[in-house]
Amino acid sequence: MWGYLAQFAADSSLNLWIAETYWLWPVLEIIHFIGLTLLLGGLLIIDLRMAGHIRVVKPAVTHQLLPFVIFGFALNLVTGVLFFFGDPGRYSINIGFQVKMVLVLIAGLNALLYHWKVSPLMEGLTEDSSSPLLARCTAYTSLAMWTGVLLTGRLIPYVGTG
Amino acid sequence: MLVTLESTALARWVGESFYAYPGLLACHIIGLAIVVGIFSMRDLKLLGFFPDLDIRVFSSLNRLALAGFTINAISGLLLFSSQASYLATSVPFLTKIACITAGMSLAYQLRPAVLLAATVSGGQQLASPGLTMKAGLSLAIWIGAIIAGRLIAYIF
Repeated sequence: MWGYLAQFAADSSLNLWIAETYWLWPVLEIIHFIGLTLLLGGLLIIDLRMAGHIRVVKPAVTHQLLPFVIFGFALNLVTGVLFFFGDPGRYSINIGFQVKMVLVLIAGLNALLYHWKVSPLMEGLTEDSSSPLLARCTAYTSLAMWTGVLLTGRLIPYVGTG
Repeated sequence: MLVTLESTALARWVGESFYAYPGLLACHIIGLAIVVGIFSMRDLKLLGFFPDLDIRVFSSLNRLALAGFTINAISGLLLFSSQASYLATSVPFLTKIACITAGMSLAYQLRPAVLLAATVSGGQQLASPGLTMKAGLSLAIWIGAIIAGRLIAYIF
């Protein structure tokens, strides 16, 4: 699958533009770092409350942070796709990148589980409520996956091929 | 002095070990996400976002933010030690250090005790426009720190 995607990206005019625009790569990296800060910063508060910590606020109230989490993810999705298109041969065979994508996928499925199954459980909880077991599991899974995404992402330049 | 630092066994280990430099970079990005993540959410709250989020949330997160800062002070110092004389003249690096100093100074001025004292209507709103201004400044400064930090690898 990665080979096919890499070939498609390598043949695109987008690839040529990214490769030729010398200032673009650092700009994309800066946006990617700002995006991860918003994503992780918002999720840290949402997930820690969901896990039963910071019991000074209703879990439902932390959902006001979600637009920034989603905005951070959107920034990183767009810049991430541009990284891949700019250097497909490097990413497609990189084990750090491949593991990172699997972790993002698990985090995404975990978010869907939250949306469908866990979110309704959280509605009635008060400021000092503890959390149901399913909510705690979902919260820690989220934090673990995104921490893994940060680590594997940062190690992409240092690890070998998959 | 910087050359002396570079020639210590610890600095040489950072520069030469196969694992040390990437491992420290990995720690550094976790710390970045914790510190700037928490501070940026605090700043957005003070700027008027998340109207129902109680400011006491940031009292609970203060120790975590300080832990994140400690991780990055240590990993940052070790990373610095391996290229001290080069980084000491790097404009992006010096800009980053200036931003972090300013950001931490603002974090002290926006510490939970100060925010709680300035809070009205059940812990959700701030009464002081001065604190709002500091929050805006803080947000801009941490974005500046990220920009400068990334540019260390590009501008010599």
